[in-house]
Amino acid sequence: MAKSDLDNANPTVLSVSQLPSRNLAKGHERRGPDSKYDHILFPKQWWAGSSLNNDPSVWTSDEDEDDDLTLATEEPIDEQEIYGKNYAPSGCTCMARRNLLSTISDPEHPVTLGQIAVVRLDDIHLSPSPAERLDPNTLTNVEVDLTPTVNHCSLATVIGLAVRVRLENALPPNYRIIVRMKDGSHAQDDQVNKQLGDKERVAAALENDTLKGIIEKMLETCV
Amino acid sequence: MATEPSAPAATTTTAATTAEVTRLPAFSPDLYQRAWASIPHPTLPLIATCHHHSVTVFSLSTLSKHSVLTGGHTRSVRSAAWQPPRGKVASGNGKEAKRLRLVTGSFDTTAGVWTWDQGRREERLEREVRLLQNNSEGDKGGEEEEEDEWELTLVLEGHENEVKSVNYSPSGQYLATCSRDKSVWIWEDVGNPNPSSEEQEEEEEDEDEWETVAVLQEHDGDVKAVTWCPDVPGRKSKYAPPRRYGDDVLASASYDNTVRLWREDGDGEWVCVAVLEGHEGTVWGVAWEGKPRENDKFPRLLSWGADEVVRVWSLREPEEEEEGHAEGAAGGNNSWGFGVPNTMRRSLKEEWECTAVLPKVHKGDIYSVAWSTETGLLASVGSDGVLALYQETTSTIAPEKKTEEEDEEMTNGDAPTTNATAAATAPGSWKVLTTVKSAHGPYEINHITWCKRYDAGSERKGEEEMLVTTGDDGVVRPWQVRIQ
Repeated sequence: MAKSDLDNANPTVLSVSQLPSRNLAKGHERRGPDSKYDHILFPKQWWAGSSLNNDPSVWTSDEDEDDDLTLATEEPIDEQEIYGKNYAPSGCTCMARRNLLSTISDPEHPVTLGQIAVVRLDDIHLSPSPAERLDPNTLTNVEVDLTPTVNHCSLATVIGLAVRVRLENALPPNYRIIVRMKDGSHAQDDQVNKQLGDKERVAAALENDTLKGIIEKMLETCV
Repeated sequence: MATEPSAPAATTTTAATTAEVTRLPAFSPDLYQRAWASIPHPTLPLIATCHHHSVTVFSLSTLSKHSVLTGGHTRSVRSAAWQPPRGKVASGNGKEAKRLRLVTGSFDTTAGVWTWDQGRREERLEREVRLLQNNSEGDKGGEEEEEDEWELTLVLEGHENEVKSVNYSPSGQYLATCSRDKSVWIWEDVGNPNPSSEEQEEEEEDEDEWETVAVLQEHDGDVKAVTWCPDVPGRKSKYAPPRRYGDDVLASASYDNTVRLWREDGDGEWVCVAVLEGHEGTVWGVAWEGKPRENDKFPRLLSWGADEVVRVWSLREPEEEEEGHAEGAAGGNNSWGFGVPNTMRRSLKEEWECTAVLPKVHKGDIYSVAWSTETGLLASVGSDGVLALYQETTSTIAPEKKTEEEDEEMTNGDAPTTNATAAATAPGSWKVLTTVKSAHGPYEINHITWCKRYDAGSERKGEEEMLVTTGDDGVVRPWQVRIQ
């Protein structure tokens, strides 16, 4: 617990070229109501669904019958595009995720979260795996465990918030995003985790101009 | 689902009930941004939806926009509450419809009091018409300014952080607000000192004047919701021993995982009379029973939260309450102990126990549960996008010794299946009637409420109940509920 001023003064930095990068197709970026930076009216997304299928019988089926519900009309999200061709537990899927996140800037250093290993490949998990999902309404959990550079990092919450915002903006609305401090990596990880999991607090935080400014800055380096 | 054998003890109304929940066309227009909650007017066919910095009021007859409250808040409006009808409830819809009052709670730390004045609007229209006639070339641009119908007449300031919830007491005398600053504020309407008196009725000119009567700071975390016990039979109750307290009871739910109950003592002081512990995460909300069972001492309370559990709480019998105190003093209070330290117990004025845990349906935070005043059915929604409907399976009087099972229930809140079966024969157990998956497509659902149907599709306008859900997709959706 050596006190290093405010943060890790000398973080291990990886070369940017080592980090794979991939641009998300623009059309697939999430523009849901919780995308904080898209306040202007936008055309309704296919996944909002209400006008697509007004036949009540389809929508009121019991839990078990939903499997054969298919919304064939709209262009599906190209999962291959997002997740990579060959799914493997710590392979392409996580790489893709990592690309969304690893280019976020550290709030204090001119480096990215990937470079100082706050975001790590092995600490990103999707469930169920993309291969198993058929229906665009099936929920997928994205769990991201962050490793702060020092265990009392005062900016843990801000970093967590930036990661959450990035994923909410980039992923379709059927993703449920869980951002946590990796076990034991932070002195107040329970508190930070609870805050990051609280939708209402996250929403309110993003209406705070100071915080919003910091996060926008962190996300500037994202493609 | 229907695995539970019907309870051996007498049941009043339970047969094999089936329910059908059918999606109806959404209110128009869609809001295209996260909407937090939709609050039906207590008597009129209106429902107010909070979204972004404003509130859109929809008509329940036309299922389309009635009016918009905008320009009063600089951050999101999280909650809203209608002023309860004054005086005789039945005193003419006409008059009431001309004057509406809505309170909004916003992330900008304030609560706004809004007034909608039909009379004033008509005056203005007349004036505009005159102007138009005098000056036939006048531009007609101003004609559509519906926003002007609502006027922000007062701003309630005091909270340090976001206001999360606002609620009127049943008489309209009090307003409660709560915030991330961990406090609950109670405001008294002093501009209209005796809201229930009937002479007042003719006077349209009640003033907007509110006084802070309490700032309650006992919660250890954000206060997420405040709800007053409705004025139902049983509230003022036969429930002895003679109460020193006022009739109004407020429940608050918090990020500190607890629910607290508040009452006014004889001296105008508001005090915490009970702490309800058992949830293992943020408690997102609380709801009172709108139609208590005959044998209940007091309306029951629901709470739900991030731990994916819905709990039903009941006030304990007064006799036992006294016993409890005696035992508490002796330090041997285990049979009822659910985590409240002894030192605290002695000072509590009311003993509440968790008498049921609903079968577990949701995976993820439960954001809202609604308790029907007509049928007693419960409906819940949450981050998983599921809408679930529950029914109580028995409604007999609680036998004296169910303590073991109930204790088990309370400690095993996260083992729903065992609870469901263990509770099958206990009073106050609940079963799932039906669920709707992806009720708002892939989006989270923030709120659900029961309200009366007034639309053309209803067979019994003003009586038939429907559900209304509000989601992150900005859709406000009514649902028809048919029970057989």
